[in-house]
Amino acid sequence: MRINRTELGENIGFTSVADEKFKTCSVYVRFMTPLDPENAAANSLAVSSLSASSSALPSVAALNERLSSLYGSALGSFSRKRGDIQILGLSASWICSRYALEGEDVESEMLSLFRDCLFSPDVTDGAFSAASFRITKNDLLDHIDAEMNNKRGYALDRASEIAYAGEPAEFSCCGTRASAEAVTPESAYSAYLRLLSTAQIEIYYVAPEESKAVPEMFRREFSAIERRSQKCTFRAVSPAKSEPVTVTEEMDVNQCKTVLAFKSDSDDIYAMRVMSAILGETPVSKLFVNVRERLSLCYYCACRYSPAKNTLFVDSGVEKANIEAAETEILRQLDEIRNGNVTEDELESAFLVLDNSLAAVGDTPSSYSSWYFERFCDGIKIDPKQQSERYREVTKERIIAAARSFRLDSRYYMTVTEGCK
Amino acid sequence: MVKNVITSKVAGESCIHVKHDSGLDIYICEMPGFSTVEAILGTKYGSVNTMFRTAGDEDFTTVPEGIAHFLEHKLFENEDCGVFELYAKTGASANAMTSFDRTCYLFGCSKNYTENLRILLDFVQKPYFTQETVDKEQGIIGQEIQMTSDSPEWRVFFNMLRCMYRSHPVRIDIAGTQESIAKIDAPLLYKCYDTFYNLNNMALSIAGNVRADEVLAICDELLRPCEDNGLETVFPDEPDGIIQPEIREKQHIGKTIFNLGYKCRPYSGEERLRMSMAASLASAILTDASTDMFVSLLESELINSGFGAEVFFGDGWSALIFSGESDSPEKVRDALFAEIERISREGVDEAIFRRIKRSTYGLLIRELNNVDAVANIMLNGHLDGVGPYDAIDIVSALTAEDINNFIKNELRNDNTVLSVIEKEGGSQ
Repeated sequence: MRINRTELGENIGFTSVADEKFKTCSVYVRFMTPLDPENAAANSLAVSSLSASSSALPSVAALNERLSSLYGSALGSFSRKRGDIQILGLSASWICSRYALEGEDVESEMLSLFRDCLFSPDVTDGAFSAASFRITKNDLLDHIDAEMNNKRGYALDRASEIAYAGEPAEFSCCGTRASAEAVTPESAYSAYLRLLSTAQIEIYYVAPEESKAVPEMFRREFSAIERRSQKCTFRAVSPAKSEPVTVTEEMDVNQCKTVLAFKSDSDDIYAMRVMSAILGETPVSKLFVNVRERLSLCYYCACRYSPAKNTLFVDSGVEKANIEAAETEILRQLDEIRNGNVTEDELESAFLVLDNSLAAVGDTPSSYSSWYFERFCDGIKIDPKQQSERYREVTKERIIAAARSFRLDSRYYMTVTEGCK
Repeated sequence: MVKNVITSKVAGESCIHVKHDSGLDIYICEMPGFSTVEAILGTKYGSVNTMFRTAGDEDFTTVPEGIAHFLEHKLFENEDCGVFELYAKTGASANAMTSFDRTCYLFGCSKNYTENLRILLDFVQKPYFTQETVDKEQGIIGQEIQMTSDSPEWRVFFNMLRCMYRSHPVRIDIAGTQESIAKIDAPLLYKCYDTFYNLNNMALSIAGNVRADEVLAICDELLRPCEDNGLETVFPDEPDGIIQPEIREKQHIGKTIFNLGYKCRPYSGEERLRMSMAASLASAILTDASTDMFVSLLESELINSGFGAEVFFGDGWSALIFSGESDSPEKVRDALFAEIERISREGVDEAIFRRIKRSTYGLLIRELNNVDAVANIMLNGHLDGVGPYDAIDIVSALTAEDINNFIKNELRNDNTVLSVIEKEGGSQ
């Protein structure tokens, strides 16, 4: 495997990963910009419009027909948030030309298609094509409406809104329904021009062999764009509230959901991550072993740590009668770590789980792209092996200090509507 | 021990198949350059297998709904400790799953694969059930049943199956019900274990950064030879036709969702694979985003880009299921009815067929890029009675006429069920 990062222009990075075991080529372009509720929906619609049609393939039907004729090549867009930053992306992957049945040059065809989507979008008179845009906008509105269909995900989203109230991370990376409804083909295209000019951009190309043509294409196209971008601040620690806030919502559900948000002011991100693994990221973590298995208080109980906001979320699916007992036990398990009650086996198990997941980086094209992109955001130049060593250097004392640094910030409860169940 | 190398001429890939002396079928794919290992030990035993007997039994045994899933949970507990505790010492990510017709135990790791394989082969061959642990598990699975009943995707799917199948146990929830799992006890679990966890009814699939000789040495050491027990599973006669064509339910959700299922005739072995690939191509043609029907539905906002289809074929059942989000699912049904009638009359467009076939081939090639996918392809192929690469060869051989025949013979409008989970307070 060979990995190489170069700068193509002002705040535009290009990382090439050559790994001969792959049968596919993949490209990921990420635009990074401060998350702003005024622009989030427009940005999201701008990038998703790029994957709906292009000037060369000016309809959803034409673009999809071309992709399927190129052996089911994939083209997609995404919008997510990392802390206070909105990350918008366009990605594509295709089989290497050597697998084409009739000798087609799939690689050149797909690179050309991807270039058109990014740099020659389906635009007339300063607006995205109305027909394609209407479909894209309908997709986004349905996506926003459907967030409530997944109760666990919805509960985590609501907990995030409550924990980060007053900060950019409070807002959804898709915008609200009202803000999405207000976006027009004109305003979405304006948003795209703004992203091209001002967003920080990182590109990843993962293929069996290095390519000169790919970075050259991006360099040439971006050189025609006037850039005035600023570097993003990827870590914005969220301060804990002076008193924990509690929000309860009743719904017609069978199983209640609870989410506790804890915040820390520590900078020891490696210790926090190991602490989170010991507390609740695996089937031998304290939360699973005690809250679910020993006391049978809930079906799931797990945690995840967000280094971008220095926040730890603990979520569980629980019967209403057990909410209080489950919360008491969750807090008690966190206290166990604070008091140093961490066994050598628990520590070693956390290291092994982290080791294993890091050793798996590189077994799929997307794992290369996402892992190295996350380290770029962290501002740390290391490889998976070095990160594994950083975890191994974490001592029990640092884990105790990490656990002690977390304060309860907020609680979200989704409870059963009285009389319904 | 009989050892074969299986090769796909089209994709140029190969794997090893061993019929082990213990009775177990073993598939190994060495994947140079990959770091991870995925191993799956599966048995042909799922939620539909509620009635069975072995060569030594005079009568068939009928067991409570949800017992295969219950057994999967309980097998994760040894006499001394939980299986997760053993994997915690190696760092592997371990899991298990029960579907309609199979139960699988798996691990994924980047290190210590030989030790993980030992854990897997050991605990699956060493059941330990007591009434006390069975009682405790009833509470945990009861909560799982509660949780899945809040999932609109789960509800819409099982509501559809209950309206589609009158007798076949595919209509029951994989986890059973609170009432059915209350009837499960330790002796019943042992009975099911002894019947279905016979190595002649199982397969091991392992792919990634492995060496075949190491895998086989561990298998030789740990697998305990099993006599073929002459297992026989039966299903109640399932009549042609459906029970009711439409079912609706309201839930506290943000967007109305639907499943539109076409009940098809059941198939087995290679014929099932051929028909399922024909179904897969037919569904890809019907949901292709470049067709007039799809574009018309999109533009009129009756569907969004998430509209798609799933081929749902198994032991005694077959269905093609269209799904999506829509405020007017009945209009989507009308459009599909009209399109299927048109294709039945005129045949599929040859150019679209060739394009979709090429696209499906590309997707199959892409799966070979992935360690998890390769392990699953080998295991699922065996449990379905076909070879790991047969799907690629069958797709290559399919003709437009095969697709026309599938659409004409299997997609009958009078054999469909529309299941809808409506948003509470919605406009329908």
